[in-house]
Amino acid sequence: MDFISAFMVNSTVQAITPILLAALAGCLCGRVGVFNIAMEGQLLIGAFCAVAGSHYTGSAALGVAAALVGTVVFSLILAYGATVFRGDAVVICIGMNLLAAGLTAYLLRQLFGVSGVFSDPNIAELAKIRISSIQSIPWLGWIVSRQTVLTYLCWALTAIVAYVLFRTPVGLRMRGVGEDPEAAQSMGVDVRRYRVVTVLVAGALTGLGGAQLSLGTVGIFSEGMSAGRGWIAVVAVMLGRDNPLLAALACVLFGIADALSVKLQSQGLPNQLTDIVPYVVTLAALVVSYRRKRDRRPASAEAAAA
Amino acid sequence: MQMVELEATGIVKRFGSLVANDHIDLKVVRGEVHAVMGENGAGKSTLMSILYGMQAPDQGSILLRGQGVRFRSALDAIDHGMGMVHQAFKLFNSLSVWENVVYGREPVRGISLDRRASMAKVADLAERFRLKIDPSARVGDLSVGVRQRVEILKALYRDARILILDEPTAVLTPPERDGLFDVIRTLKADDRTILFVTHKLHEVMAITDSVTVLRHGRVTERMATRETTPADIIRAMTGRVVNLTVERAPAAPGALVLDVEGLTIGTGPKPVVDRLDLKVRGGEIVGIAGVAGNGQTELIEALTGLRRPDAGRVTLAGQDVTQADVATHRAAGLAYVPEDRAVTGTARGASAADNLLMGYQRQQPFAKGFRLDGKAIAEHARRLIARFGVKIPDETVPVGTLSGGNLQKVVIARELTHQAPLLIAEQPTRGVDVGAIEFIHGELVAERDRGRAILLVSAELSEILALSDRILVMYEGRILADLPAGEADEDRLGLLMAGRVAEAA
Amino acid sequence: MSENTVTPRRAALRLPAVPMAILIGVVIGGLLVLVSGGNPFNAYWRILVGSLAPANWPDTLNWAVPLVGMTIAAAIPLRGGMVNLGGDGQLAIGGFVAAVLPVLLPQILPLPGPLLALVAILAAMLAAGLYAALAAFGEVRFGIPMLISSLLLSYPAIGLTSYFVGFPLRDTATGLSQTAMIPEGARLATISGPLNIGLLLILVVAGLVLYVDRRTVFGYELRMRGLNPRFTAYGGVKPGPQMLRTLFASGAIAGLVGAIIVLGSLYRFQDGALLTPGYTWSGLMAALLANGEPLGAMVAGLFFAALQTGGFAMQRETEIPRVLTMILQAIIILFLAIRHGVVRRA
Repeated sequence: MDFISAFMVNSTVQAITPILLAALAGCLCGRVGVFNIAMEGQLLIGAFCAVAGSHYTGSAALGVAAALVGTVVFSLILAYGATVFRGDAVVICIGMNLLAAGLTAYLLRQLFGVSGVFSDPNIAELAKIRISSIQSIPWLGWIVSRQTVLTYLCWALTAIVAYVLFRTPVGLRMRGVGEDPEAAQSMGVDVRRYRVVTVLVAGALTGLGGAQLSLGTVGIFSEGMSAGRGWIAVVAVMLGRDNPLLAALACVLFGIADALSVKLQSQGLPNQLTDIVPYVVTLAALVVSYRRKRDRRPASAEAAAA
Repeated sequence: MQMVELEATGIVKRFGSLVANDHIDLKVVRGEVHAVMGENGAGKSTLMSILYGMQAPDQGSILLRGQGVRFRSALDAIDHGMGMVHQAFKLFNSLSVWENVVYGREPVRGISLDRRASMAKVADLAERFRLKIDPSARVGDLSVGVRQRVEILKALYRDARILILDEPTAVLTPPERDGLFDVIRTLKADDRTILFVTHKLHEVMAITDSVTVLRHGRVTERMATRETTPADIIRAMTGRVVNLTVERAPAAPGALVLDVEGLTIGTGPKPVVDRLDLKVRGGEIVGIAGVAGNGQTELIEALTGLRRPDAGRVTLAGQDVTQADVATHRAAGLAYVPEDRAVTGTARGASAADNLLMGYQRQQPFAKGFRLDGKAIAEHARRLIARFGVKIPDETVPVGTLSGGNLQKVVIARELTHQAPLLIAEQPTRGVDVGAIEFIHGELVAERDRGRAILLVSAELSEILALSDRILVMYEGRILADLPAGEADEDRLGLLMAGRVAEAA
Repeated sequence: MSENTVTPRRAALRLPAVPMAILIGVVIGGLLVLVSGGNPFNAYWRILVGSLAPANWPDTLNWAVPLVGMTIAAAIPLRGGMVNLGGDGQLAIGGFVAAVLPVLLPQILPLPGPLLALVAILAAMLAAGLYAALAAFGEVRFGIPMLISSLLLSYPAIGLTSYFVGFPLRDTATGLSQTAMIPEGARLATISGPLNIGLLLILVVAGLVLYVDRRTVFGYELRMRGLNPRFTAYGGVKPGPQMLRTLFASGAIAGLVGAIIVLGSLYRFQDGALLTPGYTWSGLMAALLANGEPLGAMVAGLFFAALQTGGFAMQRETEIPRVLTMILQAIIILFLAIRHGVVRRA
């Protein structure tokens, strides 16, 4: 493996981070029965708040904190709208995505006086952590080291979310709430509270994802910079059937597709074509995954017959 | 010495003008199996939901082991040692047995679920009460009877002293039912108290110690089971009006309308519907009796085009419709009153006219090409509303506002008025008031006399007996018996439904 | 019985909900303007004048043509309880086909201008309709939720059209990512000012959709599906073909909108020009506002068009960015979605 491809893998791992964080959020929401497709907007809000926080305080950490707070507040719309007010989650999410796009564009102009892209030396970006002992390993060192703290965190969070869901009482209750809220309620679990809290926690996760998006590489905000990542996360959640580990696997697949598109571009293919590679891979993965699921039924019936 | 475990006094519950429970008194002794009997709508379910804390009574008091209690919620009732197995199970199919049992009250180790302790506890309980079950099995993979055991385990895990079983045998096969009775005896031996809600006489005689009978929201009789007879209980349940009889002339069966040969649904050694033969002629009502879950639902789905059979042949009015979809079935001559009027049979947000059109929207005189004739549709709707006495202001009003009986009249009106040679009526009077039942029964017989072939599926044996010219008993996917109306009675059908052919002969 | 108590109250409360939602949107938007140092009254006055003063009607109408078109495209599936999020891709395909055909077709088959325009429009509708139906096919055949596949399919469509105008079909004369100009004869005739006969085409489509919705078998079956899909399946309507038909119609109208923009005002396909104004999402919002009922959706579409046209004037006169109007739309929808729930609960 040469130097270039190690560098590419490093940037792929970086690129996966926001998608993975959003996918974790989607898994959590899906598990409690709230169909969250607002991640695209949540990432955007997170990215904007991170840049704004970082810009005003000069601290990347406070930028991340701002992203957390901002996205959690934004997620209140879904948390309460889809539970206490019993609104349709799909409609609410579509509205939230539009609101996020409009609000960030508006505030970009009003707060920073620019349209389109905002970059400023005052924006502190997230430090790349260099782990000296690993860094010296030729190829792996490049991949595992020189990442932001959020990238490390997102993998830890994947494990934590999976552990909470499948190994703790809270997780058991969440799974029950999503599968049959009435039954959960009859066993004394406060369905509404579980849903509200879960959606807000999910909001925090997407907030981190947004912060990685805007502060993870160069410290910049551009309108619509989530650029479909939230939707890819939705697909990862679908492919992973609300299982964080499988969803993470799907995110890795998209990361590879993304890297492939960068690679193809470096080979001289126009970016309009290479940009669609991740989406084509996503669609193909959906077809393969759902076709397999459909084929399984008659297969199991035959197994029963044998 | 007999200790009173539960005593409810003067329970009143009203829903609008309807008095569901009218000063009900109920006294249950510790360690007994106490039947609460009554026909549909007698107030059993309301009483149980009050005892289980799901609803608050308007008046009355409950004493539990001598202490006055007022449950704020089902959870509160559970904390007081109440347990209930609902007719519709409240289980998570994707979770394992032990996860379902400990849900909401999980043993923990540190911050984690203590899987081993949970499994051990569940296995222990299961063994103690002779509930054969694998704690690690996924609930979705279990049969209905085993799922019911999971529900019982849930209650026992929360240390229920009083267990309410709401129509527990409605979904069980006879061997499963016998298994349940064994469990009930074990519970009784452990000094637990069982409230057994049912409307099946032979079960009451077989398993219970005492009986409280409800009719129209009132207690009509309280007795010890061994001092009573089935006839006494029937009298108390029905108030001497023994059966719904429908005036009708003997049938004059005509041409063959529905011919089913070797119909099989499902593969493997035990298909849901197993090489079933069935013939219905014009001018006769053929009733299908059977315990729910013996393939009736699947059979009807196949006969209406909602499901493709795996083998066999279905001929409807001379046309082979085995693999055809719903539209083709309807065109060939099918009218269908589905089991669930609110979920399948109507669109609640749509007007009565729109609801009365469905299924015939592409036919004359309503459609001229692709254009709908609004005037013809409205006139048709007004005519049906008048003829069937649907209580609705006019045909433009959405049907979501109608009562159950009126909604069912909309479905019946739609399906009866188009001259389809075959009518399949599934639970045509479920949850409908007495007046509407009489009306619907009368209409079905009138249609028969006009030469239509009618296939009736009902969970109410009395309905099957009152309407059918021939009765087929379905058991484990097959037709076990084909009886002329004159040779069938409730006892004989009951035995056949349990698969006991020899005894029924 | 609990199953039959809600409808009349919902109907009664539903009416004032829309003006209420608009009022709340206006108040929150006004606060936003106030906080960022602007004068909300001035802003709204500019929006009002900029869209509704008689001199500005042509601009508003011109903006309304594609927006109402996309509203109809979104409303059709919504009427049957389905959502098509892929309007952007269908719009791009329609515009692309309508831009390329009039340039390439005369080389093999010389046609008179108007006929060429007609062929271009029909081809655009066909292509975009089929592309939309692809998402429906994915759900019917594989069970892939159309909500997400329709959206994902947009990206390849946008990418591919963008590639074609950037490379093989680029107009080398200008050096920009755009196709060559469409021959003059194939352009849609101007009515007055910015308005062209695209306006009439959309009016015809609107009338047709209303007619189909209220007076035909297809409209009836689609409405019933929206109210209860099990009911229509029980009534013998085949769910799969119905979904394919519906999405084809929706996509075809999106394609028509693309063709109208290209043949009526741009006269060529410019990379991104069809999508930047955000007709798809505004159209979807308008359709959601009326819950898919076509007439209400069209009125909502007109309202949003006026709002956005006024937004341009506001931005010119007051320095307040016109994305404010997008925020207003989102708040209105969010409030309605939640309000709807409040009423349902009552």
